This record gives sequence, C-alpha cells and structure tokens, in this order.
Amino acid sequence: MSTMTVILAAISLYLVAGIIFTIIFQLKGLSKIDEGVNGSGWGFRIIIIPGCIVFWTGLLRKWIKANKEIIDPAKEHA
Amino acid sequence: MGASYLAVGWNRQKKIYDWLIFAFCVLYLATFVVLTAIFNPDYTFETVLIRATSTLAVIILHVTLSIGPLTRINKKFLPLLYNRRHLGVSMFCIILVHGSFSILQFHSLGNVNPFVSLFTSNTHFGSLADFPFQALGFFALIIFFLMAITSHDFWLHNLSPKVWKTLHMFVYLAYFLVVMHVMLGVIQYETNPVFIIIMLIGAFTLIALHLIAGTREVNKDDVIYKLKQDGYVLVCDVKDIEEDRAKMFCLDTERIAVYKTGGKLFAVNNVCKHQNGPLGEGKVIDGCITCPWHGYQYLPQNGQSPPPFKEKVSTYDVKLEGTHVWLNPKAYAEGTERPGAVISVVNAE
Repeated sequence: MSTMTVILAAISLYLVAGIIFTIIFQLKGLSKIDEGVNGSGWGFRIIIIPGCIVFWTGLLRKWIKANKEIIDPAKEHA
Repeated sequence: MGASYLAVGWNRQKKIYDWLIFAFCVLYLATFVVLTAIFNPDYTFETVLIRATSTLAVIILHVTLSIGPLTRINKKFLPLLYNRRHLGVSMFCIILVHGSFSILQFHSLGNVNPFVSLFTSNTHFGSLADFPFQALGFFALIIFFLMAITSHDFWLHNLSPKVWKTLHMFVYLAYFLVVMHVMLGVIQYETNPVFIIIMLIGAFTLIALHLIAGTREVNKDDVIYKLKQDGYVLVCDVKDIEEDRAKMFCLDTERIAVYKTGGKLFAVNNVCKHQNGPLGEGKVIDGCITCPWHGYQYLPQNGQSPPPFKEKVSTYDVKLEGTHVWLNPKAYAEGTERPGAVISVVNAE
C-alpha cells in the first residue's frame, strides 16, 4: 500500500467520523455551544454541515466544555 | 450581525451584489464557450469548461484580493467589501468545477484512485518544464474549500476570531499556489504567451495595491503625538472631526477611534469584533457607531452592541480643553460606560 493510499485512507476515516459526529451534533450539541443557534433556520444548519464535518474535533471539544459548564454551574460563575 | 444565525442575511444590496456576480459569471462563461467554439472547434466540452472556469476564477480571485487594499486607498470601494465573502464562495464554486473536471479528464480514466493518480502520475518535482503543477492547484483548492466552508459568522465565533482570521489569511498562500499552478501549467500546455502576461499584470497590480495601502496604514500609525499631560495626549482639534464621524489615532500601538456625535466626543477601540474592521472609518447610524465593513454596531458611550447583540469593544477617556481634543490611551474593560466630553457651543464654533 503506497503512502498516498494510506494518507487518503486516514483522511477518509477522519471525514467519515466527521459525518457521524455532525449528525449527532446537529441534533443535540449545536445549540449548547452557541446560543446564536437558537431560533436559526434549516438553511443555517445546512450551510454549516461541511464545516462541522471538517472541524468536528474542535466542535467536540467545545461541546464537552459546554456540557461540563452545565454540570458545574458554580464554575461558570467563579 | 444577528442575535440568531441566518443562512444568509439577505438585503437589497446583497441581492444586487450577488446578481451582478452571477450575471458576470454566466456572461463570461458563455462568451468563452462561444469564442472557443468559433476559434478552436476541435476542443472537447470538458476542455472548454476547464479553461473557462480557470480563467474566470483567476479574474475573480484578483478582484477579491484587490478589494481589501482598494478600500484602504479609497472609501468609494467599501460597497465591494460588504459582501466580499459571497464573491469568495462564488470563486470557490467555480474552482471546484474546474478541479472536478480536471481530475475527471486527467486522472479518473485508469484503475488508480484519481486522488492517488493526481500525486503519483507525475513526480518530476525537480523539473520546471514537467513540474506536477496540478498538485499545486489541488492544494489551493483545499485552502479555498476551508475558507468557503468557514465563511459563515458561526465559524468566526466558534473557531475564535484569531483562528478564523489566520485561516483566511492563507488566501495569500493559495494565491501563490494558483500563480505557480497557472504559470507551470501554461509552460507545459500553451504556446500563447497571453496567459502569462495576464497573470503577471494581475500579480503586479495586486502587489502594488497592497504596498500602497500598507504604506498608508503605516504612515497613519507612525504619527507622533508630543503634547501629553496626566496620561492624556493631545490628538487634534474638535473641528477636525465631522459630526457623526470619527478620526482614528494610534497611541501606544493601540488604534482608537474618537467619535463626535450628539454634542459629545467618545472614544472606542478602532477594531470591530466581527472581522477587525476599522470602526473609525464608519459613521454613527441610529445612534450607533456602525462598522463600514459589515454594519456591526456599537453604542458610542459604552462600546456595547445594542441588545440583543453582545459584541463589546474597549472604551477610553476623552476630554476637551478649549477646542483641543485630549485622549487617554488607557483602555477600560470592553463595554465600560464613559461619560464622553461635552462639546460646548464655544468649542463647536
């Protein structure tokens, strides 16, 4: 297997993980990381899908952080 | 600027802007196809499309990159800046057509994965005449792709303005890759020098515009204000500032906009929270300082965006002695209310 094939396979895996993440994130996480999402339409949700697939690791980090702040509200006001 | 996100915040100006982009693209592509059919009737449809989209994308790329320095040189170009991201996304769509058809035509007819073929079919990296220029175009396409998918304000907020701006500054690397992609490709496939000449004129024009605009910015920042007292710096005369407009001053490497509105002077940080637009080049609309780039607004007395918006910029103390405007470069926390300096009738005359 050539180096290029391995790199392409790794990128494909990353993007497949991004697609799976994006489906869950759009349903459950999006409104938790940014309150500007509340009241936004489907057009907005569709337009950010490619970005969610590519930058899913950063969004996951923000989502985890947002969940921790909800669990520990004292920390939020510290 | 919005409390909740919209896919596109349409308004009349944006619609006109987008229709003009669309009409130009259609007209250009149609003209290119017709002229090719007349002068080179043996070309295949794919070849015509690849060439038409490549030249159109190069033109739009030059226009897009010229808008920034042009607005620094002359404010009349500001309407072009307002919706520049749509121009960029349109360019990406055109480049995507070019890239897709190029990969289809040159790399998808064998039994090797087209993307593997793109990087392995030609490995003459040491040869100028045979350099694998397509790979350069591919990397430029990836940069334009990342820019296009993060063009919505959601990404500005969630990647952070610093990361977002850095990512979008890669457009200059992409431009370099495009220049090399075109030049090396033309060397291999073209005998007509017109492509190289057009590309060189475009590159020199862009470099010249950036140099002129950059020099002006540096000159603005290099003004030395000598008179100082109690932390305040004498910056100008009150008559130098137009009503509902501002003058920008660079003190201690900080750019500060001093606005004159409603019989008072207010000072706020010059950098808009949205895309670092120059607030000092905007004007007061409906009682709010309005960024000339995308219309983000801030109240002059506290640097806060009017509710329900949440952007904030730093504020500063400003005072008047006679007609002299004194500015304190010590920044207050973003959104801090300041009283401003009252302009008496005597000052204003």
